[in-house]
Amino acid sequence: MSPGLLPRRARDPLLLLAPTMVLLAVFFFYPLLSAAYTSLFDWDLLTEARYVGLENYRALHESGELSHAFSTTLRFSVVVVIGSMALGLGLALALNRTGAFAAFVRGAIFSAYVISWVSVALLWLWVLDADAGALTALVRGAGLTPRSWLGDPGLALYSLAMVTIWKIAGYSMVLFLAGLQDIPRALYEAAALDGAGRWSRFWNVTWPLLRPTTVFVATTSLIVSFQVFDVVRVMTQGGPVQSTTVFVYAIYEQVFMNLRVGRASALVVVFFGLLLVLTLLQLLAWRRREAAR
Amino acid sequence: MIRLARRAFTLGGALGLLTGCGRGVPPGRTEATLWFTYGGRNREVLEELVGRFNTAQNDVWISAVFQGDYFEGLAKLRTSIAARATPTLSHVVGEVIPYLAEAGVLEPLDDYAHARELGIIESLGQTGSWVGGGDRPLVCLPFNRSTPIAYLNAPVFEARGLSAPTSWEQLREVARSLTERRGSDATRFGFGCPIDWWFWTALVGQAGGKVVEDDGRITLGDEAGVRALELWKAMVNDDRSMKPPPGRDYNAWEQTNQDFLAGRTAMIWTSTAFLKYLEENAPFRVRAAPLPQGRRRAVPTGGTHWVMLRHASREQREAGWKFLRFMHEPEQAIHWAVRTGYLPVTRGAIERLKREGHYDRHPNDRVAVEQLSVALPWPWSRELFRVQREIVQPRLESAIQGGRDAREVLREARALGARGRG
Repeated sequence: MSPGLLPRRARDPLLLLAPTMVLLAVFFFYPLLSAAYTSLFDWDLLTEARYVGLENYRALHESGELSHAFSTTLRFSVVVVIGSMALGLGLALALNRTGAFAAFVRGAIFSAYVISWVSVALLWLWVLDADAGALTALVRGAGLTPRSWLGDPGLALYSLAMVTIWKIAGYSMVLFLAGLQDIPRALYEAAALDGAGRWSRFWNVTWPLLRPTTVFVATTSLIVSFQVFDVVRVMTQGGPVQSTTVFVYAIYEQVFMNLRVGRASALVVVFFGLLLVLTLLQLLAWRRREAAR
Repeated sequence: MIRLARRAFTLGGALGLLTGCGRGVPPGRTEATLWFTYGGRNREVLEELVGRFNTAQNDVWISAVFQGDYFEGLAKLRTSIAARATPTLSHVVGEVIPYLAEAGVLEPLDDYAHARELGIIESLGQTGSWVGGGDRPLVCLPFNRSTPIAYLNAPVFEARGLSAPTSWEQLREVARSLTERRGSDATRFGFGCPIDWWFWTALVGQAGGKVVEDDGRITLGDEAGVRALELWKAMVNDDRSMKPPPGRDYNAWEQTNQDFLAGRTAMIWTSTAFLKYLEENAPFRVRAAPLPQGRRRAVPTGGTHWVMLRHASREQREAGWKFLRFMHEPEQAIHWAVRTGYLPVTRGAIERLKREGHYDRHPNDRVAVEQLSVALPWPWSRELFRVQREIVQPRLESAIQGGRDAREVLREARALGARGRG
């Protein structure tokens, strides 16, 4: 760093950082520490909190709630991440062209991403209605027996995953489009001269050069899918038979329905730990790639 | 840090008070806030009654604020209690009254004028339990109270020459014969009912059991509980004549109503609270009928009770009491009941309705009133709310929709209930 860029006074950088640090402290560190502390108590907001040590964690583990919430969230995330990436990439490849029509279609697909989650959930509640829904009518029209998309414990989570993919695929598409447009034309021309077909050009040029975008899309959609709440709250309330009780909904249910602040806080701490691990993995992947360049 | 958390709530509560309250209170009046937890028609009628009270006198101003459904309302109430920024009045489901009372947040009402002389109907107040039983103070008064009843699509029943089932056997038979299919796909179910604790307790009672014994043991009805759950399982899985609606809690209740209105179910069980709504919105004639009997007739009562919060100021509590008195006058109790479908909670109101021939003109309204003779008592149990939410409700679903054995899930629930945790 050149001497001209060094701070004149040692405290200047701290002063400049202070507003952000204060916001982070008030809205992030304090609530997190507070949750970690509260997780050691049996507290219902009304009566005196009782210190129980790690009992909340033990109860969550023993009742199987923790592993259930984790596996439900993980299954949901895997479907959402793979689905939204595949659909986003497919759409980007199909719509990576000029012209008003392609622009219109791109805009239409992206618009789902801008709509609020609650509106999307209400819309799909209607589409997936087991009796009068549009999808049910379509399936019936095709001569097949419709399923109870949201009422079948084996199906409900995947129905919600599909709704989430529908909503965020537009975002993945835009990112992949940006990635595609960054790839120099010359590489395709060179590959074509070497006799590479469309498929081979995709595997040897497009896919490797899209890797940074792919990592970014995967990480963001993973985080979105881990934080899913609105669609669950509106469409299934965690049911049927808790088949859609994902992590954030389990936290909500513990504190607002079951009146257990301590247990909800314990879930928050575990959830934070999980997100931290995911973020660290992403950072590692990022650094390795930067180092490889 | 828990104290700090409390302070954070206090700050939030204070901000809420600064921004949310003080809207249009006429000068010279004491404002009392009322948090209520239902929308639609019930909200309209309540706001009408609040407006009536506000114009009928010049001392008190009731500010009624909508707070979401029962569960959301309760969560907000708890938060406001932690923040010491409570409303003056609210209404809560009966099952949480022991919990709130023992937490010491409810104002005892005995010292308020004529508090024990309102002529409350015992089964609706749950006298002896929620409304001041034994040496406990009076901490609540009944407000929107109901029982489950059966709703029938009258033309469908008449076309088949069927009448309302009066026994469990008839219920199965009628539901089977009214179910219509195209291939294996049911186009109309004979019966619909939310897979919900409240309706299950009706069945447990009908099967001759009690969810909580008189000595406080949580037995979940033992064999009666199993028989209750097995009836549903048989109708859903074997007969495929009963539709368990998707969604949980009140979403499932709403779906049950919509299925009935759209003709997708020929008969449903739900609260008498929806009587006027269903009568007015169904494109067919709706007939109400009492629930059938198993070994005996039995129904639980449901709905909410008024509570006054201790943290409100003395003036606010006095003001709140005036409103509670007003709501228990026959005029208001009757208006509330006949416009919504809930039961009139005072003897004065019911007697007047009978005298004026209301039940002869509206036979559907009579069904819930007559069922009060077989209403089950709720125990004074601090744990009941948790048993319901955490232990029983998810297991009912796992038996019906998850295919688990009824006896097994209830044994598990009883064990957890005895250990006092979910």
